[in-house]
Amino acid sequence: MIAAYERRASPLHAARAPVAAAYAIALVSSVLLFEHPLALVALAIAILGAGVLAGAGRSLARAALFAIPFAIAIALINPLVVREGLTVVLRLGELGALGKIDVTAEALVFGAILGLRALLVMLAGGALLAATVDADEVLQRFRRISAHSALTAALAVRLVPVLGRDARRLADARRCRPNAAARPGPTERLQIVRAVATGALDRALDVAATLEVRGYATPAAVRGARRLREPWSRHDLAFAASALGLVALALGARLSGVATFEAYPRTLAPVGAAEIVLALALVIVALLPFADRRGVQR
Amino acid sequence: MSGRSRLLGLLCLAAAVLGGCGAGDAPSSGVGLTATRDFGGRTLIELERAKVSGSDTVMRMLDRNATVAKRFGGGFVQDINGVAGGRSGGRPVDWFFYVNGVESEKGAASIDVHGGDRVWWDHHDWGVTPHIPAVVGSYPEPFLHGRDGRRLPVRVECADPRAGPCARVAEELIERGVPAGRSSLSRSPADETLRVLVGPWKRLRGRDLEADNLDSGPRASGVFARFDAAGTKLVVLDERGRPARTLGAGSGLVAATRAEQRQPVWYVTGTDGAGAAAAARAFDESVLADRFALAISGDLPVRVPLVSGRKP
Repeated sequence: MIAAYERRASPLHAARAPVAAAYAIALVSSVLLFEHPLALVALAIAILGAGVLAGAGRSLARAALFAIPFAIAIALINPLVVREGLTVVLRLGELGALGKIDVTAEALVFGAILGLRALLVMLAGGALLAATVDADEVLQRFRRISAHSALTAALAVRLVPVLGRDARRLADARRCRPNAAARPGPTERLQIVRAVATGALDRALDVAATLEVRGYATPAAVRGARRLREPWSRHDLAFAASALGLVALALGARLSGVATFEAYPRTLAPVGAAEIVLALALVIVALLPFADRRGVQR
Repeated sequence: MSGRSRLLGLLCLAAAVLGGCGAGDAPSSGVGLTATRDFGGRTLIELERAKVSGSDTVMRMLDRNATVAKRFGGGFVQDINGVAGGRSGGRPVDWFFYVNGVESEKGAASIDVHGGDRVWWDHHDWGVTPHIPAVVGSYPEPFLHGRDGRRLPVRVECADPRAGPCARVAEELIERGVPAGRSSLSRSPADETLRVLVGPWKRLRGRDLEADNLDSGPRASGVFARFDAAGTKLVVLDERGRPARTLGAGSGLVAATRAEQRQPVWYVTGTDGAGAAAAARAFDESVLADRFALAISGDLPVRVPLVSGRKP
């Protein structure tokens, strides 16, 4: 399910779109830079906290419904395909092409960590980004760099929900037919996808013709791109600083050897004062910009 | 079903599940672990009793005793204690392992270690062949503990069962606690018997598939030495399969090879009777240790293959 952007009265929504996007991307980058469970738990708190404080809790919950099974699948598959780890907890013997399968505690732990990371990436990079970043504003600003790319991206972003609505209408129409089942089977799903794909090509031709008629092909349209020059608000500055702070913390921890994690052959995840301070710092740096709620009704 | 019998059933189920779980007990006899470079030329790890747990595979045991980097989901060893596979001097090099002196068809993550096993990892050039089916450097294995935790029958087959070399080899095995039968050369080898063939090469060649492989060279047999057509000269090859040294009369060879689906065959042989006798004298743990095969010239051991730039 694609979370839709909706302007809400929150500090994150009050920040300009590229800054909000950078904030979400910084959260994703931090998740990808860490394997230490404590750091990941801190980032999970930060991402969920940011979602709730930005009024996007429901979007995150909806995304989690789809992401959690995916994360569980990763957590379960890892111990079956990885031949690492010293602590055998379950011996499954020879399983055909997979060979000898010994499930180890280390592979289970790392599978859980990989699953958690996938979940957090989907929440921060998918739901939070989509719910708090105005794609139109990003594209409008991006137009200054490359008008053609911005136009392509804008059309793609616009066409995805249009095609989604097409698919729903086709599915509704299918259900209206006599003897139709409540839910489409695999064959009927394929028919709908084929119809939507064909429709997408037709729409693409229509859009191209319309753009040509409106003069988008002429250089004047490119030159006429409006430049947005707004001073940076306190929310812009706060979230930009937060994004930089998150990346700096993650890179600093990696370079200084704090929150190191070794998955194999034995799970090593040292938890000391440095790791605890880092975890607290990640949460504080990520959520501090939400403390200032002045001017959130932009 | 009453609550009590339900509880009993649950306990039985838990016991059954837990029976297949956990690390298990360590093997009763020690498991040896050796890691070498260049066909056993340089020792990196030598452990008489390596750290091992009951459910360990060859890979897990290596993990317990060395710093290992792996690839392909942990199924392939890339690096042991900083010595990595890949290319060296334009030649392909990688880590290979032998359990009780026998190459396995399966990966290290799929083979269990058993009490008394000797696991040998060697980092070597595989440009000539990636398959060396059997080596002699783990002696007295595989005679003592066999393969896959199962001892195998052993037979010493001799060109002349009454000759000294035959008795020497058979007695050496019996002293080690290996009940070895002695017979003249057989043309109907049992697939499940470990055989030691003793005698001059002229008498042994052409009698079975393994001997044909040895005559065909290292690609077929994994042995980097071959006798000339007359069987009077022994050519020791280097790691690239090139002749490195030619040994004349009185030279011996102790080597092992294996044909598919059969147990290894060991050759204690030579260019003549004196060569076979020299090979029989070298049939000893201290002489054979960490060698893929061994040639004897003037009662002095010559490493096989003779790796370029290394002493014999």
